[in-house]
Amino acid sequence: MRSIFRTGAAALAAATMLSGAAFADAHAALSGDLVIFSDMSNPAPRAVMEGMVERFGEMHPDLNIELTVIDREAYKTQIRNFLQADPPDVANWYAGNRMLPYVEAGLFSDISDLWEEGGLTESLASTQASMTIGDGIYGVPYTYYQWGVYYREDIFAELGIEAPSTWEEELANCQVIVDSGRACYTIGTKFLWTAGGWFDYLNMRTNGYDFHMALTNGEIEWTDQRVRDTFANWQTLVDMGAFLENHQSYSWQEALPFMVNGEAAAYLMGNFAVAPLREAGLSDDQLGFYQFPQINPDVEMAEDAPTDTFHIPTGAQNVEAARAFLLFVVSAENQTLINGGDGLGQLPVNAASSVDDDEFLNAGFEMLSQNSPGGIAQFFDRDAPAEMAQVAMQGFQTFMVDPTSLEEVLARLEQARQRSY
Amino acid sequence: MFPTPIAKTSRTWQVTYQSLLPLALIMWLLPLLAVMWFSIKPASDFTIGNYWGWPSSFEGFANYYLVFAGSDMPRYLWNSVMITLPTVAGAVALSCMTGFALGVYRFKGNLLVFFMFVAGNFVPFQILMVPVRDMTVDMGLYDTRTGLVLFHIAFQTGFCTLFMRNFIRALPRELIEAARVEGVSEYQIFWYVVLPLMRPAIAALSVLIFTFIWNDYFWAIVLTQGPESQPVTAGITSFNAQYRAMYHLMSAGSLVAAIPPVAMFFLMQKHFIAGLTLGAVK
Repeated sequence: MRSIFRTGAAALAAATMLSGAAFADAHAALSGDLVIFSDMSNPAPRAVMEGMVERFGEMHPDLNIELTVIDREAYKTQIRNFLQADPPDVANWYAGNRMLPYVEAGLFSDISDLWEEGGLTESLASTQASMTIGDGIYGVPYTYYQWGVYYREDIFAELGIEAPSTWEEELANCQVIVDSGRACYTIGTKFLWTAGGWFDYLNMRTNGYDFHMALTNGEIEWTDQRVRDTFANWQTLVDMGAFLENHQSYSWQEALPFMVNGEAAAYLMGNFAVAPLREAGLSDDQLGFYQFPQINPDVEMAEDAPTDTFHIPTGAQNVEAARAFLLFVVSAENQTLINGGDGLGQLPVNAASSVDDDEFLNAGFEMLSQNSPGGIAQFFDRDAPAEMAQVAMQGFQTFMVDPTSLEEVLARLEQARQRSY
Repeated sequence: MFPTPIAKTSRTWQVTYQSLLPLALIMWLLPLLAVMWFSIKPASDFTIGNYWGWPSSFEGFANYYLVFAGSDMPRYLWNSVMITLPTVAGAVALSCMTGFALGVYRFKGNLLVFFMFVAGNFVPFQILMVPVRDMTVDMGLYDTRTGLVLFHIAFQTGFCTLFMRNFIRALPRELIEAARVEGVSEYQIFWYVVLPLMRPAIAALSVLIFTFIWNDYFWAIVLTQGPESQPVTAGITSFNAQYRAMYHLMSAGSLVAAIPPVAMFFLMQKHFIAGLTLGAVK
């Protein structure tokens, strides 16, 4: 461990000697303490976080970095407290509406100037919208992963169908799959959020990203005709038997065997589903990925890609070091390194990074950086406030089990909207 | 005698009994057997849907090795030990003294004090959750083993006092009277006369409290978080990773966590049963 005295003395020296001097080279000037609170507590993310701190520390020997890793779930409640009482210089959080309360309370710094200076508006273009609130940009992303349809290529080949790109193709495919005695989609809605993923996609494809964001932001009534259109598309799928039966009794993991055993042909899921599917013996020849098909040609394609982030609290002491750390985190080189298979195994946020040689990561990287002009959503339960998300996702599940309950569900959601915002 | 001993019943009844008993036993143990079965399976068996069938490969060693070498389990187990042992020592020591005071001395309000100890046991602990959590935060004991130990001692002392007081009440008073006549001081009576007689009660109570505290889950998740302070019962949930539940490792971890109380039970069976029935019949 670095000596506190040494860094303290260095800080003092730096403060007295260099005060006022414009020290353009950030690599040489950093000193003092850099306090980082992180929620990367699971083994692989933790190793990544510790690795970053180590490498950043080597670049800035005079900087004393104090890293505190807090349990990911506990962090969600502690952040409210520490941002006010004892703010670190850098803190982890999530993009999109999840950071809204802290931005509104003035607890996260606007770092749009850093985005300009560091050229991040170009290299991180795909996630810029999800880090922006009003006119400010309130942090940097460090990782995300794609959502999309993972399907059994071998079953598709056997039935003579191909990955769909339009809603008509999708429905035609699904009819063939249903006729062969399979479900088009496996899904386990026991813990509700999987149904949220379906709503995200159906709504973004039917009404577009901006409408979806306005809806999750509470600006649009759930009884609106456009919301009904989304549900009508959903009902088409439900009525034709596209979804696995009794899905309300499975968790997302318990729904995997149906796809592995060939009783269902596809799964709308995040990229984390690939690892267990591979472990279960599906080869990359059997497993494929396609972007959720277009429904309304008038709206741009938008995707779900939950993004994890770093922020500088407004109470940060060592802002200069914090800004340098954020730039380091999003640099193409570091992004390639930490999102590789040995690290997080997800997608780098920097367009100049390279992706691990993995079929699905490559497909996702290409999709998000080139084929998602509409924008990137964070996922239903991150975009909508917790209370609204809970009620809504319960409603989605009810609807999927019994589509005739639509009116009741919409009325309940509208009630929740008026209460939650 | 009631119920009629099985040996004295008709042959048909005996056969029915003998065939139903193992069946009932297996049914009752089924969840536990499932956990044991899951703990030797590879993760992929859960994704294939092979829950009850033969494991596609035997991963018993790998799973248990991972639990010990690749996770925070040893740390959690150590926390459990460091929470359970001080609690047992503290609660038993305190209740020996309170039991002695309430069992031996006749003073005004004796019954009232005693009833307060007993009444504490009837407070559902869920009610205490928020105030106790707030109190430990205010005292700076939140997320520390000390905080958990102190609370457990306070909460368990009520039951222990009831137990000890009744036990001491049943001791022959003549022994204490005789010691007093000899001019032995009250402290010495406690130490040299009563305490040695309480040995069976202390043993029984220790075993009982050990299993109570080791198996505690509620307070473990209310008052602590993370591998620095959480006991093993709460630590098992750390096998729920960010996206996936590691059923095979959770099963292996649960079995490891269950070993100490089970071993305690078999080694100290005599005391355990004594503990459950002590004071039940007078």
